[in-house]
Amino acid sequence: MSPLAAVSDPTTVHLTSQTRILAALLAIAFMFAILELIRRDRLQERYSVIWFVAGLGMLAGAAFPGLLELVADAMGVRDTNVALFSIVLFFLLALALNFSVIMSRQAAQITRLAQERALEKVREQAAEERNGNGAALAEKPLQPEEKGL
Amino acid sequence: MRTLVFIPAWNEEASISEVIADVRKAMPRVDILVVDDGSADATTRTARENGVLVATLPFNQGLGAALQTGYLHALREGYDFCAHLDADGQHPAPEVARLLAEVEADRADLVIGSRYTDPAAEVGVDDYQPTFSRRIGTSVFRFFLTLATRQRFTDTTSGMRAANRRVMSLFSRHYSPDFAEIESLQLAVREGLRVEEVPVRMLERAGGSSFLTPLRSAFFIFKGVVVLLVGQFRPRRVEAER
Repeated sequence: MSPLAAVSDPTTVHLTSQTRILAALLAIAFMFAILELIRRDRLQERYSVIWFVAGLGMLAGAAFPGLLELVADAMGVRDTNVALFSIVLFFLLALALNFSVIMSRQAAQITRLAQERALEKVREQAAEERNGNGAALAEKPLQPEEKGL
Repeated sequence: MRTLVFIPAWNEEASISEVIADVRKAMPRVDILVVDDGSADATTRTARENGVLVATLPFNQGLGAALQTGYLHALREGYDFCAHLDADGQHPAPEVARLLAEVEADRADLVIGSRYTDPAAEVGVDDYQPTFSRRIGTSVFRFFLTLATRQRFTDTTSGMRAANRRVMSLFSRHYSPDFAEIESLQLAVREGLRVEEVPVRMLERAGGSSFLTPLRSAFFIFKGVVVLLVGQFRPRRVEAER
């Protein structure tokens, strides 16, 4: 038996109350997991919204199985399962793209941060040389070029 | 009039001293900055021992980011002109001086040192012998960049360049980290800057071999073409400084 539905007629989904309860519990557990991640500072609120929406979607699907059929009808898809998988696939794809965008932004930020730090080092070096204390070179413990020595 | 010559270096402790000495000899009045792109060896220390300023990136960020660091420094410190050359000894400093002379004379905003003399022919000035995959890459980039910019470029990946403040201002804001050389040319032309190529003499790299295997070359070329294509659809930016 499919975990989602006991399929008698491929055009409709008949969820047993057992699967509906299971799906609802999973959705609630999922949202609690998100909440817990936020509470422990492992996930930032701004990135959690989308996951709450996903959790609510799961919950809605479990509570009102007819919703999915409505959506499938609207999409012109005869098989509700296909509609479900298409929606989920598209959602995940969009999410992955969103992550790539975030990643690109952060990569650019990291690069700029590294550059600013490098230029700061130049100013430090220039100041040291003006003060005529070249010996200060040795006292920086975290110079990358010294890690290998 | 102040000029900065910067040298992006990644694990170049063996050749950096020589390159610095070469630049000093050819251009005694310029300031020199080495940009150490997170080297694991003693590049920073060696450069400092040679008495030049060193911008050490905390971790390797790629050539584009290293070059941008140089442009950023030149812009902020108020240099009128800047130039950069590779740290592996391929670029003779007197040739860099010739590029600088072009921007100083205000004949161009950005000058590229090209290792191919005659744009029509594939022959180099000296006995520079590119590998087969390199030659393919060169032709492909040349073709697409010329198409994109409607300007003839022969040496699209040359790392020997001279620039004025307009270019510093542009490049310190926008510089592709992955496709530094090619995309920056496209960007400069799109922004209406005068880009010029000057034939230069280049040497065989002193040590080490090119990182390009055939498969990597193919991927590199593919990526470059995609980058150029996408670059054509970028919005033009407003130029901040003249």
